[in-house]
Amino acid sequence: MDIGPIWRAMLKNKAGFVLIALQIAVTMTIMVNAFAIMQERSNKAGRDSGMDEENTFALASAFFSEYDRDLMKALIDEDLALIRAMPGVRSAVASNSFPLRQGGWSMGLQTEPGANAADSVSTAIYFVDEHGIDTFDATVIDGNNFAPNQVSWQQQDDNTWPAYGIVTEALAKELFPDEEGSVVGKTVYINDNDPVNIVGVIDRLHAPWPSWTGVERTMLTPQRRTSEFQRYVIRTEPGYRDALMPEIEALLADSNKDRIISDVTTMEQVRKLAYLGDTAMVRILTFVVMLLTIITGLGIVGLASFNVSRRTRQIGIRRALGASKPAIVRYFMVENFIVSAIGLAIGGVLSVALNMAMVEAFALEPLAWYVIPAAIVALLLVGQAAVAGPASRASRVAPAIATRSI
Amino acid sequence: MLQMNKVSKVYRTDTVETHALREFSLTVEEGEFVSVTGPSGSGKTTFLNIAGMLEELSSGTYELDGRDISKLNDKERSKVRNEKIGFIFQSFNLIPELDIFDNVDVPLRYRGMKAEERKRRIGRCLEMVGLASRLKHYPAQLSGGQQQRVAIARALAGEPRFLLADEPTGNLDTHMTDSVLDLLTEINESGTTIIMVTHELTLADRAGRNIFVRDGQVSDGPPELSFAAAANS
Amino acid sequence: MFRYYLKLGLLSIRANPALSALMVAAIAIGIGACMSIVTVRHVMSGNPIAHKNDVLYHVQLDNWNPDEPYEEPNEPPEQVTYLDATALHQAGRALRQTISFKSDRVIQPDGDNARPFQQEVRATTADFFAMFDVPFAYGSGWDAVADQTEERVVVLSAEMNRRLYGGENSVGRMVTMNKEPYRVVGVLDEWLPIPTFYDLNNNPYQGPEQIFLPFSLAISGEWGSSGNNSCWKPSENGSYEAYLASECIWIQMWVELASAADRDTYLQFLNDYVEEQKSLGRFPRELNNRLSTPAEWLVNREVVDDTVNVLLSLAVLFLIVCLLNTIGLLLAKVIRRTSDISLRRALGASKSALFTQYIVEAGMIGVAGGLAGIGMTWLGLRGLENVFSEYDFIAYLVTMDWSMVLGAVLLAIVSALAAALYPTWRACSLSPASTLRIQ
Repeated sequence: MDIGPIWRAMLKNKAGFVLIALQIAVTMTIMVNAFAIMQERSNKAGRDSGMDEENTFALASAFFSEYDRDLMKALIDEDLALIRAMPGVRSAVASNSFPLRQGGWSMGLQTEPGANAADSVSTAIYFVDEHGIDTFDATVIDGNNFAPNQVSWQQQDDNTWPAYGIVTEALAKELFPDEEGSVVGKTVYINDNDPVNIVGVIDRLHAPWPSWTGVERTMLTPQRRTSEFQRYVIRTEPGYRDALMPEIEALLADSNKDRIISDVTTMEQVRKLAYLGDTAMVRILTFVVMLLTIITGLGIVGLASFNVSRRTRQIGIRRALGASKPAIVRYFMVENFIVSAIGLAIGGVLSVALNMAMVEAFALEPLAWYVIPAAIVALLLVGQAAVAGPASRASRVAPAIATRSI
Repeated sequence: MLQMNKVSKVYRTDTVETHALREFSLTVEEGEFVSVTGPSGSGKTTFLNIAGMLEELSSGTYELDGRDISKLNDKERSKVRNEKIGFIFQSFNLIPELDIFDNVDVPLRYRGMKAEERKRRIGRCLEMVGLASRLKHYPAQLSGGQQQRVAIARALAGEPRFLLADEPTGNLDTHMTDSVLDLLTEINESGTTIIMVTHELTLADRAGRNIFVRDGQVSDGPPELSFAAAANS
Repeated sequence: MFRYYLKLGLLSIRANPALSALMVAAIAIGIGACMSIVTVRHVMSGNPIAHKNDVLYHVQLDNWNPDEPYEEPNEPPEQVTYLDATALHQAGRALRQTISFKSDRVIQPDGDNARPFQQEVRATTADFFAMFDVPFAYGSGWDAVADQTEERVVVLSAEMNRRLYGGENSVGRMVTMNKEPYRVVGVLDEWLPIPTFYDLNNNPYQGPEQIFLPFSLAISGEWGSSGNNSCWKPSENGSYEAYLASECIWIQMWVELASAADRDTYLQFLNDYVEEQKSLGRFPRELNNRLSTPAEWLVNREVVDDTVNVLLSLAVLFLIVCLLNTIGLLLAKVIRRTSDISLRRALGASKSALFTQYIVEAGMIGVAGGLAGIGMTWLGLRGLENVFSEYDFIAYLVTMDWSMVLGAVLLAIVSALAAALYPTWRACSLSPASTLRIQ
């Protein structure tokens, strides 16, 4: 089909086509950028925290009686012994926090001692004992787990640190970027001057803050704290979690009436809450893109219908002069293709511009190369599908209409 | 009184200049029934459009009841058109979404008339064209002749002094043509000036005076017409 | 005449029901998307104490590390130390002053079957209630004397009073927390500042604490803060005394001045205080103290997170698409009706009369779109509520602001009129003669 006459006919009636082209352009801009955000967010929400999330839950215990340190130690030991003795419990640990909890402790580590060291690397810290590795489902890939005698008791607001640490592979790389061999046995400094000897390296364990850029950087330190407030992380054998949650809650509540058990949550709930903003964003944007596509599609249908009824006589004349039905359909399809192509060209520029602005303003990732071509194909198809109805209606105009005066 | 003096109308496009009227001069007295005939493209419709102020003239003067039309702005022109001129078109031009009553009501609305007065006039005009019983019908429910009668009622409702008709019977069969022409004659006899553009010479005979237009100017007319006119008188 | 235009508009809308519905729906959906996000943003960034914005000031003192600022580029810490909080409170140089922090207590309700529960409480000073216009249902707050004598009194929120005492006047009754009795002196009326501007450091969308008690009482009980706590150098030893004497920041401080004119005077007082402390060896950084109004403080803490801003920019684009859609359809509609316009011109309608007629028609589409847009906004908010159901603040979206509703309708009408303007102007400037002859 010859594009020339169609193009010239469109120039006669620019405004309507300009509007639809602009609409397609803005639709594409939203589509592309929404998709980029959706992709980033769903990748983020799909990351592995390193834990055996399916079989792990956590709870918090808060004593409200005043106990002295020794009694407190005994009570915490008793709690852990009770929990670990439950059939179905694989391992348990008292920790200050755990991945995805969105609250925890972070410190700066440096490879040289001193207050003014420039190379400080911030890391999340979990206080654990020798059961921590198994509870967090971490694999020691170099060195060893903590030995029981390395685990010490600290006071609640203590700022002194055990001399041993286990780091994630990501943290080791960040601390010793040039080290080719093992980092086990090396010393890092916490609190400016306190030495920490790296006894082991684990594969992966997330920090408690999923939105933190250093989420892969975590250090385990062998300590427990004498605090009224304790957080227990419990990993069960597969299938035991749901039954054990209420049992352990009741067990602890009954063992000491002067406390409150709270925050009994599965890791699945914790994950849901941690990535709530991200999954919500994905859902909202999916909905927005769908709605937008529908509106733009309907807009094209509406305008095409108008054009068809406005040109009924003209179409009749064409039919009378020998145009076939497919030729009429093709006319409207080509017309829509031209408008879409113009809109999509503008939209391509707008999409990239908005994406650059968003990368700048909201620290988003740049577009993947295939998003724009994909959006172009999708919107071309939507346009052609939308115009198909009115076009086929146009093709059914009777040639006889040409000879009627009204 | 309608008076055109050396009126010219030129249509310009990028490439062509078309002279639809060339120094066209004509005077129509109060109460006349004038028919305007001429071949296709002679300028008779342009003349009617200018007479009805639907188009502007390129040069010359046009006075309606002694007022120079070219000096009026859009609002004043609309008012003059609304109060003094009624239109009848070949294709009736009724508004399909409005019923008969509301169609006749249109010009009265733009005059800002009270509801009772409008109702009275619409009733009277529809009675005059014999359609008083069809108030609530829509144009599509009427025959062509009936539609044209509604259009005439609409033109009359504003009690105009001039009725401009453009091929009023062009879309009607012979029987209907006669009844519409009878109606127009009746209207003219009650004092309304009528200017009717037509290409049918037999219709032109029903008018009191004939103007023949050729190449945008008033012409002496074809001999047959002169003969007919002479025989008539 | 206006009624006539309304009638013509209705007829025209009825003549193209699908198309009119599409235009109304496009406006409504665009408005709905935009307004729901605007509402969320409005709630999140609201300033619940805007009416005292010129007299309330948040206090910041820069006691931080000489080698690095608390936050780049050179932000002072967002909280103050115990040393400074109590010294400035004692000095009493402002009309009113409040120092406070958040803590956890275990409430033990009366009755054998009632289970104890943990509750966030706010330890604060007497001026808190008057400064922040906190409404009382029964009783009142405590006075400055109670602050000094560490009186064992509490103020309960309306909700806590319902939970503990079924909502009746509980002034004078005793509440047990961590095994110690406290006397109720006041019960608040409903009070839900969102965000909780007086402490933006710890989830400002979960509403205020349910129990308030004297700051001095919490200190003598050696309570810790359950909120944010930052230190740039370790305290002497692990003891509570050392913590109070440390450079750790954990207390929020606000002052109320008699008028905005006193701002400089009070800042001068703060600077003088810090200069004096410098001579004692504290405050190693350059003078960097700050007073912020609630509005300034909300902006400084960037309480609205990027997610909402990203959504807002997309929603605005969304509205633009919907309006383009409507403009296009209106244009098409008007173009199709040129013969109607010409006819009416021939029958004596002036350009302005026709312009009015078409604008009224577009306005009707706009009003319908706006009204439907309110419904859409409501639906959109319900949708967001569903998606964000685990967030606390979402409960406050239930109430749609009426000024917001009015805004939505206005926006829709203005949009529709803007959409109708160009096509109508185009149609009215056509020569009427061109379309009358052959349709």
